[in-house]
Amino acid sequence: MPNASLLLEIRDLHVGFRIFEGHLRVLAGVTLWVAEGERVGLVGETGCGKTTTVKSVLRVLPIPPAIVTSGEILYRGRDVLRMHRRALHVLRREELTAIFQDPLQSLNPVFTVGSQLRDIVRDSMRTPEGRVLSRREIEARCIQALEETGMPDPERIMSNYPIQLSGGMRQRVCIAEALSTTARLLLADEPTTNLDVTIQDQILRKLDRLVDQKGSSVLMITHSMGVVRDLTQRIYIMYAGSIVETGPTRQLLASPKHPYTQGLMASVPRLTGRGVSEGIPGRIPNYLEPPPGCRFHPRCPHRMPECSVEAPPMSDVGADQRAACYLYRRSPS
Amino acid sequence: MTEPILEARGLTKFFPTKRGTVRAVDDIDFRMAPGDTLGLVGESGSGKTTTAQCVVGIYAPTTGDILFHGQSIGATAAKRSKELKREIRIVFQDPGSSLNPKRTIKQILATPLAVHHLASGREQVARISALLERVELPPAEYLYKHPQSIGGGEKQMVAIARALATDPSFVVLDEPTSALDVSVQAKIINLLLGLQKEMGLTYLFITHDMSLMRNVASRVAIMYLGKLSEIANTAEFFQMPLHPYTKMLLSSIPVVSDEEESLKPAKGISRGEIPSPVNIPPGCSFHSRCPSRLDVCDKIDPATVEVAAGHVVRCHLYPGSQERTS
Ligand SMILES: Nc1ncnc2c1ncn2[C@@H]1O[C@H](COP(=O)(O)OP(=O)(O)OP(=O)(O)O)[C@@H](O)[C@H]1O
Ligand SMILES: Nc1ncnc2c1ncn2[C@@H]1O[C@H](COP(=O)(O)OP(=O)(O)OP(=O)(O)O)[C@@H](O)[C@H]1O
Ligand code: SF4
Ligand code: SF4
Ligand SMILES: [Mg+2]
Ligand SMILES: [Mg+2]
Repeated sequence: MPNASLLLEIRDLHVGFRIFEGHLRVLAGVTLWVAEGERVGLVGETGCGKTTTVKSVLRVLPIPPAIVTSGEILYRGRDVLRMHRRALHVLRREELTAIFQDPLQSLNPVFTVGSQLRDIVRDSMRTPEGRVLSRREIEARCIQALEETGMPDPERIMSNYPIQLSGGMRQRVCIAEALSTTARLLLADEPTTNLDVTIQDQILRKLDRLVDQKGSSVLMITHSMGVVRDLTQRIYIMYAGSIVETGPTRQLLASPKHPYTQGLMASVPRLTGRGVSEGIPGRIPNYLEPPPGCRFHPRCPHRMPECSVEAPPMSDVGADQRAACYLYRRSPS
Repeated sequence: MTEPILEARGLTKFFPTKRGTVRAVDDIDFRMAPGDTLGLVGESGSGKTTTAQCVVGIYAPTTGDILFHGQSIGATAAKRSKELKREIRIVFQDPGSSLNPKRTIKQILATPLAVHHLASGREQVARISALLERVELPPAEYLYKHPQSIGGGEKQMVAIARALATDPSFVVLDEPTSALDVSVQAKIINLLLGLQKEMGLTYLFITHDMSLMRNVASRVAIMYLGKLSEIANTAEFFQMPLHPYTKMLLSSIPVVSDEEESLKPAKGISRGEIPSPVNIPPGCSFHSRCPSRLDVCDKIDPATVEVAAGHVVRCHLYPGSQERTS
């Protein structure tokens, strides 16, 4: 439950996109929080709204077409959605770091990788005595950050423009940027999707250690159940714009309660080699006309008449584990 | 092994570039029996797609050869017979960009049928409908749709249908599901396994997902910087991985249960960087990252040795592998 040490709190967030065909109702009441020093995972299938959630927190959604119809985003108690531009700027520079899924979005195409990295290090790093870094120290720190992500030939990379790097390399530049700042909250949107598992492992361990040292918090977004299991303590499962289940990561993955989470876990190929499941029938709904009630009902093997009437509330389904599903509703007492 | 359906002998493909020669595929050997699924695994840039492109004739090998039913086919598609092009087909990684957005699904599937004179007129429509049914897309709903109006998973189903249109015996699957979600992936994998049984297909299956490989491949080949470091039957491969890179790969797989965790080898800590394929280090190309490296490793390139029937490895730790200076 939310308590005094809350860093980020999202309450009942509704976000949509106005497009030619109508109104895409994407986020339908997202509620989640990240405590100080906590590592939290956010997973769900493609298009469920994970990136939209992160962009809302950073206030980088394109408005229009995006509209935040209701809800609150609190960072250490301060309302991000109502923050003025200058306060927002300070927040982004000093408190939050993001690693984006599409690294080209966050790298400026007209500056070299080196000049962008140097700017970040200059703005955010201080020596232990609180002094600004010298030019040589900045250079060394940049090269070190790139080396830490397993990039061959950091000097050459520094002189390249983002377009000259492969997708995986760009992603690692963004990770290097994140590694060189001292933010309190790291929002990592699929930080390692383009990388092979050994490099992924190498980078995630580095990230983990760094977060440990700084005592920062992480909101880690990924498709990979294995990655969240390794790196996070608590997890949120998202389906079609809302959180359907949450709990301690390992416990939840070992015993998922929401029918969607169960379907998702059954679809993950296992090293035990027992074959591959059939997957979840159907597909994610059209956000122009999302299904009423529980948005999962058209695909749910357990659906009941009430499921298509009203969205189910969260119910306790285990120690600190909660699921939004009528199967677990308490009989009124 | 029974008579192989496909065999690579010293297959090599270099790309000359301004910054030097990229040794994308560097002297690899493998054999595949009919009905096999060979899983080709390796990190980004290790040469998997280039290998696949040589097999389907997009590139001719720089040196070495590819044999199909014992016949040399190491030429580009332009020089291959129509018959051969019918037999060997490919499904690309990115379903979005491999399908022409201006054409309907019916037109997309008609092309291979027309090119190979397999069917025309009313028979063609019937064949296309049958193909769509085979990949579980109801023809009535999909025939006249355009690729951009269907989901990524469905696009990949169409790409699979297109590959199967010519009734091939050998299909290259280049990361057919890595752009997709696990639940969509599950559907496509099931479909592919079903089709394989039904049509007696042989698959060259490229992926970087080892857990997926565990469930689909009969043999696994590990590629690192253009070379094959280890090949073995799947069960043996996971029980007794030998090459230090394989061990590192297996120990780095993120898994979702304690049961799987116990199947992974002891953690081989990954460190160092992947060398560039333009500037491959001397000796064993893995030596900059290898936790078990020996003194010879940065001087002499190890040779490939067969340590057990059908299990080959390329590493100085396994005796008989100290020839070949480079
Ligand atoms: N700028 C936009 N204009 C219109 N629709 C948008 C826009 N951005 C996102 N959407 C829609 O919002 C939905 C959620 O997208 P989002 O990128 O948040 O998903 P995601 O969970 O991050 O998916 P992925 O795993 O593929 O990254 C999608 O249906 C998407 O098409
Ligand atoms: N046409 C080309 N010209 C120059 N270099 C190329 C060409 N095609 C591929 N390469 C290089 O050859 C190497 C192998 O590339 P390839 O696409 O085969 O890798 P891959 O194993 O399929 O990687 P991924 O997992 O990222 O798809 C890379 O270094 C790549 O940059
Ligand atoms: S609320 Fe109903 S439709 Fe939704 S997941 Fe639960 S049982 Fe299924
Ligand atoms: S040859 Fe040497 S460096 Fe290469 S994998 Fe074997 S032990 Fe490691
Ligand atoms: Mg996203
Ligand atoms: Mg490839």
